[in-house]
Amino acid sequence: MISKIVQQIIISSLLLFSIQVIGAIDSYEFKDPEIAKRFHTLTYELRCPKCQNQNLADSNSTLSMDLKQIVYEKLLAGESDEQILQFMKQRYGEFILFRPEMTKSNAFLWTGPIIFLTIFLILFFNWYRKNRMMNDE
Amino acid sequence: MSEQSSILKPVISIAAFIGFLILFYFLIGKDKTELPSQFINQPAPKFQVVDLLKEKLIHTEEDFIGKITLLNVWASWCPSCYAEHPFWRQYAKNKDIVLVGLNYRDTKKKALKFINQQGNSYQWILFDKNGRLGIEFGVYGAPETFIIDPQGIIRYRHVGVVTPEVYKTIFLPLIDKIKGGF
Repeated sequence: MISKIVQQIIISSLLLFSIQVIGAIDSYEFKDPEIAKRFHTLTYELRCPKCQNQNLADSNSTLSMDLKQIVYEKLLAGESDEQILQFMKQRYGEFILFRPEMTKSNAFLWTGPIIFLTIFLILFFNWYRKNRMMNDE
Repeated sequence: MSEQSSILKPVISIAAFIGFLILFYFLIGKDKTELPSQFINQPAPKFQVVDLLKEKLIHTEEDFIGKITLLNVWASWCPSCYAEHPFWRQYAKNKDIVLVGLNYRDTKKKALKFINQQGNSYQWILFDKNGRLGIEFGVYGAPETFIIDPQGIIRYRHVGVVTPEVYKTIFLPLIDKIKGGF
């Protein structure tokens, strides 16, 4: 009987601690689920400037925490996603966007594959036509 | 015709190969961990921040006007800042350039301890307790050092420790350029 009570106390205290841990991970509260969804999307689309390949949502660096807090405050203040992304871009540049926009400096990366594919297709069809002509002869 | 193309073919392939090597050198050769500052040749961001040592003193971006300023981002939790500070201590004797500290994301107690132990090399220190001023400047770590010209325009941002070598090769030429009117 006593061992059962002890067991129950242990289990319930474990459950209590696990709830506290969950609470510590996500401390942002939203009354509007729409804003919560936007917070989620923005923190997944913004890159942590300090840790290269992590987004703000996954990073625990102090800078990411600060930037997440800013996203949260700006959402509650009624700023649009565009305004928030602009704020981040002004300070940390294109790097902070996980889906970079096309600019002069990265235009080649965007257009490169299309250019290479076109060159390849032209060469391939030339080769193919020549081959067929030779076969026909 | 066929003879000409048999010579051309290897030449084109070798040229393409060298082209790719050059391209990769430029893509991979750069240090990807260093972010370029968004504020180069831009005015310093607007701010109103309290002084670390004089609680009632408020600083703004207008305090940069009139002299060349080196804005050094430091914190008591940053090991490299301890390594860098002896250089600034030496540098503080330089009177024609204002050395300003930005105490980034620190507690007052620890920041004051740092200053007491290491010596105060700064003419004034911005106290950025929650890191918001750092974010305004696009800071992503400490130490970082900005060169700000007498018009309040940011001309350079150095990420990492400023050693005498870095100062001589990067900072001095830029400071001379600013003195000459940029």
